[in-house]
Amino acid sequence: MHGKAVVVGVGESEYYKRGGAPETEFQLACKAIRRAVEDAGLDLSEVDGLTTYMDQRNSPLRLAEALGLKELRWSMTPLAGGGNNSAAALMCADAAVSAGYARYVVAFRALAQGQFHRLGSGQGGGGDGARGMAWGRPYGLMTPAQECAMHTKRWMHDHGVSQDALGSIALACYANAQRNPRAVRYGRPLTREDYHASRWIVEPFHLFDCCQENDGAAALVVTTPERARDLRSTPVSILAAAQGMGPDIGARSFQGKWFPGTFYENVGKMLWDRAGAKPTDVDAVQMYENFTGPVLMALCEMGFCEPEEVEAFVGDGRLEGPDAALPFNTSGGNLAEAYIHGLEMVSEAVRQVRGDSTCQAPKVELSLAAGGPGYAPGSAVLFGRA
Amino acid sequence: MPRFLGDDFMLPVLDPLNTPFYTTGSLQMQFCRACDAAQHPPDDVCFSCQSTDLEFRAVPGTGTIESFVVIHHPIHPALRDKVPFAVALVSVDGADGCNVMGNVLGAEVEDVAIGKKVDVRFEEVTNAQTGETLKIPQWALA
Repeated sequence: MHGKAVVVGVGESEYYKRGGAPETEFQLACKAIRRAVEDAGLDLSEVDGLTTYMDQRNSPLRLAEALGLKELRWSMTPLAGGGNNSAAALMCADAAVSAGYARYVVAFRALAQGQFHRLGSGQGGGGDGARGMAWGRPYGLMTPAQECAMHTKRWMHDHGVSQDALGSIALACYANAQRNPRAVRYGRPLTREDYHASRWIVEPFHLFDCCQENDGAAALVVTTPERARDLRSTPVSILAAAQGMGPDIGARSFQGKWFPGTFYENVGKMLWDRAGAKPTDVDAVQMYENFTGPVLMALCEMGFCEPEEVEAFVGDGRLEGPDAALPFNTSGGNLAEAYIHGLEMVSEAVRQVRGDSTCQAPKVELSLAAGGPGYAPGSAVLFGRA
Repeated sequence: MPRFLGDDFMLPVLDPLNTPFYTTGSLQMQFCRACDAAQHPPDDVCFSCQSTDLEFRAVPGTGTIESFVVIHHPIHPALRDKVPFAVALVSVDGADGCNVMGNVLGAEVEDVAIGKKVDVRFEEVTNAQTGETLKIPQWALA
């Protein structure tokens, strides 16, 4: 096991529907960071490192000044893509404190899709994703939902996976969110009939196969086990983290061995190897749902089951509740808690080890958070008891 | 022929790497002169051998549907009276391992299926802003 760095605090703003936040995105970011630092029992001014991913709007420099940091010693973000790097942000923080470049690193993500544009609107970002996406745009293929649907459709065809299997992911998230007062979909249970009756966004995705659009922010504080001893919170070890994609061509737009796929095969191999663990050792899983189909694919790529087994693996409520066969997206995830670009799910993975989830699995030794599937590089982080 | 999603809809912005694909009226794919690998999307370097000696070659214009989606939610206002429509991913004969996208012209969405053979068609349109004449590849069931 690696276990050099520990998470000592998690915090978040209130979560809102898109456009529902009474605060600006920067205010939400500051609030989540302050709460995470308070949770740790740390003085805010002691934070000396900041990391995020795909966040060009809440600059570490602006945050450092606004939060009154004594000094900023380190600021880096993982490259390429978007929510695929939600776990890689923790990997960066781990690297920074383990190497001694910073003492207390905050990983954060803030999104106010009301104040700014919608993340999945087809307006595109930059870099490799946009370059690949440009080839679909004249034909009306413009959004992540549509891209992930293209992968999912072929994968379902190849392995005989039914629409019901996709629905099982949505149902698990909604069932677990009913226990979580933070969840935007708290008090809004979903039935299998509701799922199948919901409108198509892009076949094979119904409305409830797609993550929400929300306003909010989440943050985690990472430091060394030695420094954690002086803090009041229960530290959680970063046992292993991984980010990457296998060395093959075709990642950019449905080519070669990457079609259909989600870029989690080598992420899984690296993670299990570094942790000395295997999927059956994991006690709780938080797996970023941009859309339900890629979650099924990533579960298989990371070794939880074979594609031909996935229907049974996720079916019959096997992912629902604290006593599930595999406690899964226990906060409700992106689908039903809030879509804070997946970082809120990393916080939930930490809570499962601390024992303070609203859907707390019994005796959690190993707790996994995986980043967004279907966009490279993928990332994952495995937490355990410190 | 008028464009499937409207003549002005998301016209490709031409650059040296996509101009052969969108303007020649034949299906042009990028090949490496050094190792003969085909790749899509076209790029500055051969992703198989790193050679920069790349060229475009016409391929027969036939292929197979590898996957498809049916778009119901009109993400763009111009698509409100076009949905539902299909976007297919087509493996291109003569360019091993290359998949390109397109709509399936003249077919109901129910008739689009993985494994079906398709033939290329071209939508010719002039970009009113740039004056460029585009011949955009599309597909029809064979």
